Amino acid sequence: MSYSTFNRKKFDSLQEPMFFGENVNVARYDQQKHPIFEKLIEKQLSFFWRPEEVDLSNDRKDFLKLEVHEQHIFLSNLKYQTLLDSVQGRSPNVALLPIVSLPELETWIETWSFSETIHSRSYTHIIRNIVNDPTKVFDDIIVNDEIAKRAISVSKYYDDLIELVNLYNTLGLGVHHVPERGDVTVSMHSLKKALYLTVASVNVLEAIRFYVSFACSFAFAERTLMEGNAKIIKLIARDEALHLNGTQHMMNLMALGRDDPEMAKIAEECKDDVINIFVEAAQQEKDWAKYLFKDGSMIGLNAQILGQYVEYITNVRMQAVGLEAQFETKNNPIPWINAWLVSDNVQVAPQEAEITSYLVGQIDNDLDGADFDDFGDL
Amino acid sequence: MTILATSNKAPEDPQVHRVLLGKQQILVSEDEPLLPQLERAGVTIEYQCREGYCSSCAIKLLWGKVEYPVEPLAWIHSGAMLACCAIVKSDIEIGFF
Repeated sequence: MSYSTFNRKKFDSLQEPMFFGENVNVARYDQQKHPIFEKLIEKQLSFFWRPEEVDLSNDRKDFLKLEVHEQHIFLSNLKYQTLLDSVQGRSPNVALLPIVSLPELETWIETWSFSETIHSRSYTHIIRNIVNDPTKVFDDIIVNDEIAKRAISVSKYYDDLIELVNLYNTLGLGVHHVPERGDVTVSMHSLKKALYLTVASVNVLEAIRFYVSFACSFAFAERTLMEGNAKIIKLIARDEALHLNGTQHMMNLMALGRDDPEMAKIAEECKDDVINIFVEAAQQEKDWAKYLFKDGSMIGLNAQILGQYVEYITNVRMQAVGLEAQFETKNNPIPWINAWLVSDNVQVAPQEAEITSYLVGQIDNDLDGADFDDFGDL
Repeated sequence: MTILATSNKAPEDPQVHRVLLGKQQILVSEDEPLLPQLERAGVTIEYQCREGYCSSCAIKLLWGKVEYPVEPLAWIHSGAMLACCAIVKSDIEIGFF
């Protein structure tokens, strides 16, 4: 029922499900039901970056030299990514924190969402650097029909879950009359179903929806254009690959009954809905590719190739959550993209390679006498 | 077709295993993960992070044994393996999803 910021009950959090159990009380990580989320937190923290580290002065010159239809492709993608990260910078917190029941998962959600706010700030950094009036770009996000269509798809599952959870937290289980909405049934079943579909929809957002945009950014950079932007997109892609791991784990833990046994039944029940979420998103992304290239393609990419890539990546992502691939495309039509998506060659400033295994102040505590052999007899 | 995917194999580590992929047979060592050895053998395989968290290089492990020196962050379904960080420990048969 009503959310508490510090649950006074004494309970064993190792026995709690990921969601809809007790509200978390002590933020403790000495014992963990699902240690993967603590590992994701550590990895995400090791990825920390700031947009301002990336110099975009050459991108401004490049942008001015782009053909008009290429400027449309570039700015449209930035607008779409701005929408996606506007949603992701707040929604995991708003939707999931009131219902989470494990400390390590609670902190992962906050860490995850925080990293999305860095992405949002990076879009402002890019847009400020390449156009004279950023307002025109940002204002169009709300009124652009093509973006609005996608805004509905990426936010509706979150909004449904948030509405149900709000009713649950204030009025409890039952049928509640909501002005302008009619009767809404709040049951544990409807809550858990809304949660499962939300997690699936977020997985699709991070695992598929970003990739048309990524492909365009890297296609510009293959021509040594907009390379500062590509550096930022590489950092964002690295983060997103980690985030999709988080939602894949949530979905697999739920579906395989390794968390809340009831969620396994709900996952089975929702299987067709989830397949539809993937297939519909793929179709929307293919439509988006057509919109991007409506006035002309760019070297190495066109709507058809991007459409095939969307189908290919959708198959890969579906298989990762235990679903059958839905598209015939068996090969990656733009294999060069993977070289841009590799984590460890991300370099921000020329003097500073961001190797993910590198941690500031790292100390090796496992020393024995043999480690001093090289010093000789001093 | 047999392709020796590894060169400069350390003589002190003579472990070489067969990897079956359809009708293709590739010899691999335990010196490094499967992914780079498959790539050198000309097998195209999807990848992204190459450090075990993105799941992109997941392939079917039909039989045989692989080990992960460091437990990867990605979920590994039963009957699957992550090519980027798995060390092949016996003859194996793999397939694509």
